Amino acid sequence: MVSYLITVWVILTLNFLLPRLMPGDPFVYLSGEEGEDLPEISEAQKNYYMIQYGFDDPLYLQYGRYFARLARGDLGQSIYYNTPVSIMLARRLPWTLGLVCLAVLFSTILGTLLGGIAAALRHHWVDRFLFMGLIVVSEIPAFLLGLVMLFFFAAFLKLFPLSGAMTPFPGPMTALEKLSDICRHGALPVATLTLARLGGIFLLARNSLVTIMARDYLITARAKGLGRGRIFWRHALRNAMLPIVTRVFMSLGALTGGAILVENVFNYPGLGKLMRQAVLYQDYPLIQGIFLLVTLAVLLANFMADLVYKHLDPRISGPKISPTTVQA
Amino acid sequence: MGHKTLKALCCLLIAGLVFSCSQEPEDKASLETPELRIQKQTATPGTGQVEVVHLAGGDYGYPSPYAHYPRGPGGYKMCLIFDSLLERSNKGLIPWLAEGWQVTDQGKGYIFTLRQGVEWQDGKPLTPEDVAFSLNYAARHPMTWSYIFDLIESVDVLPGNQVKVTVKHQTAAMLDNLGRTRILPRHIWEKVDNPKTLTGPEAVIGTGPYRLTSYSREHGTYRFEAFDRFWGPKPRVKRIEFIPVSEPILAYEKGEIDLIRVSPDLLPRFANDSGHRVIKSPAFWGYRLLFDTTRTGPLLDKGIRQAFAHAIDRDELVAKIARGAALPGRLGILPPGHVMAADPVKSYGFNPETSGTLLEHAGYRLPEGQDIRIGADGHPLAFDLLCSNREVRMAEILKQRFLAVGVDIRILAVDGKTRDSRVRNHHFNLALIGHGGWGNDPDYLTSHCSNTFSTSSSPSASSGIGLAIPALASLLEKQRLETDSAKRRDLIEKIQHLAEEEVPEIPLFYTTAFNVFRPTKYDGWMFMFDHHSLEHSKLSYLNWKEWH
Repeated sequence: MVSYLITVWVILTLNFLLPRLMPGDPFVYLSGEEGEDLPEISEAQKNYYMIQYGFDDPLYLQYGRYFARLARGDLGQSIYYNTPVSIMLARRLPWTLGLVCLAVLFSTILGTLLGGIAAALRHHWVDRFLFMGLIVVSEIPAFLLGLVMLFFFAAFLKLFPLSGAMTPFPGPMTALEKLSDICRHGALPVATLTLARLGGIFLLARNSLVTIMARDYLITARAKGLGRGRIFWRHALRNAMLPIVTRVFMSLGALTGGAILVENVFNYPGLGKLMRQAVLYQDYPLIQGIFLLVTLAVLLANFMADLVYKHLDPRISGPKISPTTVQA
Repeated sequence: MGHKTLKALCCLLIAGLVFSCSQEPEDKASLETPELRIQKQTATPGTGQVEVVHLAGGDYGYPSPYAHYPRGPGGYKMCLIFDSLLERSNKGLIPWLAEGWQVTDQGKGYIFTLRQGVEWQDGKPLTPEDVAFSLNYAARHPMTWSYIFDLIESVDVLPGNQVKVTVKHQTAAMLDNLGRTRILPRHIWEKVDNPKTLTGPEAVIGTGPYRLTSYSREHGTYRFEAFDRFWGPKPRVKRIEFIPVSEPILAYEKGEIDLIRVSPDLLPRFANDSGHRVIKSPAFWGYRLLFDTTRTGPLLDKGIRQAFAHAIDRDELVAKIARGAALPGRLGILPPGHVMAADPVKSYGFNPETSGTLLEHAGYRLPEGQDIRIGADGHPLAFDLLCSNREVRMAEILKQRFLAVGVDIRILAVDGKTRDSRVRNHHFNLALIGHGGWGNDPDYLTSHCSNTFSTSSSPSASSGIGLAIPALASLLEKQRLETDSAKRRDLIEKIQHLAEEEVPEIPLFYTTAFNVFRPTKYDGWMFMFDHHSLEHSKLSYLNWKEWH
């Protein structure tokens, strides 16, 4: 417990210090993107803001204030967006969460299924085709995949909208129509992320299954006369799932930034885009808020992985058995 | 994968798709001369009203003078709702909420005569007290785009619907600064101590031609509807809708948005199609090469700086970096489209021989068989060139050009904020920097030609990154105090010519853009005299020419 608290304190301290160690401050506006309009800010105005946001205080005072606010659940006010950070995160998180969770779900199911088929048909042309095809797809950067999807399915075939998460100014809509609208807008980003992750899951599932299939207990199962399907899906796949589960939860932990490029391609209102802008504009409170969320997401994902592990592998939650007993 | 690479790939793919999807045969001859159909300003627009205009959206904040975001077009959306005393037409400042003005007390007093019959969007009348309150309030609480913070001595309401503003310091740019400041309804804002926190519907009550009827922060959508009791020219667009866009060209092709900016590569498709009109933006966004002259060294020598100006091929930068969509930089600093730009006396064409001669005169000789010049003290003529990661290609071209005249350049590429911070703290020899605002009041020359921190407001004013030259400083101070426009214009001309001689910095190029729209859908687009964007001009949406 103590070590856990120390870890959290170190993370929060780094979270506070890192943005402040970056060169410059949130009010230096010397250059911008091409064609971009910059604010006009005088020295007097900069000093006004520094005082207003408390950045003129010594670092230890800012540090104390940061912890006091955190204890109250207050993540502070974004300098650039002029909005409470917690509200910004609450509004953006569901979109990224929806995108990434669906992509993780689809890629895991599809990747495992295809991995299983490839493992069952090892050295068959189907295995070779899936192996080559999915390796090629997984090597294409997600944003490029997204652009191709955008051009083909949205611009050329006009099957999906070009951008955004909802139709702007849609007028009155029923809940079902709204859901359908959100699904249509999310289809291409989800498909892009799914395809981008598919290769990795497929390889993991295939390799894991190939290794498991050679184990003694499966030879025993075959000797007992169990059916091929039962051996494969029930005995082999369940054991092969452990590394896949690890992979899935590790990717869930990084969900806040994982979709950044895809969100940019589809102009999707998620957290990834927000994180890029927060760093670009040196918005300290927002950077801190997003990093804190990422930290919590990683911890939560680890916790969930533990729970699922216990379910998949009863040895973990059962009475402790010494390794020598297991080997015997 | 950097954002720039992503953009480049997007352009490449879009170009491929657009051309491959084209139903019309390509006209080779017209592809070679697209500029034939490019205009500098719209033809005489119609006067009819259109139902809706769609534009590329994105979240730029709640459109109140205090809540919109500092960067990007958030401020211009706010201007659709909030009026100011003066407005910016394509020619200059025009009367707006103020029907007239006069400058008194040797430039420290400004008397504005206010327009009558103006109504707030909540039905209350605009009063001189509202104007006095707004100017006082903006001087105490800086608006996001602040022009008069801490610069006002007093504001008095005079008989005859007049307001007198007394400023702390006399400056020529003050009329512009006062004229741009947004006027707020006193009955809403007078009890607000922290204006940034006011983000309810009452925060977007102005006297302007449009009302905000929908805003979604996370989706980046805005809808503005014409205010039917607006005092001024009749709105030509009933609704302006800003919607999220992933690829503007695809969205334009699909008819989702009505105005885009295209790269020169895609220009022929639109320039040769009578269904579209192409307008070139004035070049008010530019790159400049800065010299750090706060320490001793060769850069203090005017001859070296002039040699650098001759060593750089600015036309090459326009062709290779901006792909033709730019104008070469002028050593007089102000871009050609600026209302006070003077014809150059010294043009500093690309001339490595002249550059070499100037370096020889400065005492830097090229030893036989070597590439880098050596000074009298035995030190090589070498500099660090600080730039952001986005400008490495430009820096490489400059490096080659400098090497050709015997100057060694080491490129230091860092992220944009680090570069800005180092420039601000004078931790550089040479630096590349790019920003907008080149069409603003020429008082910004002070920040380009001075190494002291300035209290004036311009994008780079707080940097104090220029060069201290007494003659130039004296002229800059004179123009700042000169309220007679003709005399000031003369001073600004002299400053530009002196800058050409002294070379306090080298403007490399000013970028322009090609705007495309369908005139059959809406044709009222116009530029402000000092700004490069059609959709940012409030007058673009109004029947201003007929009213005027």
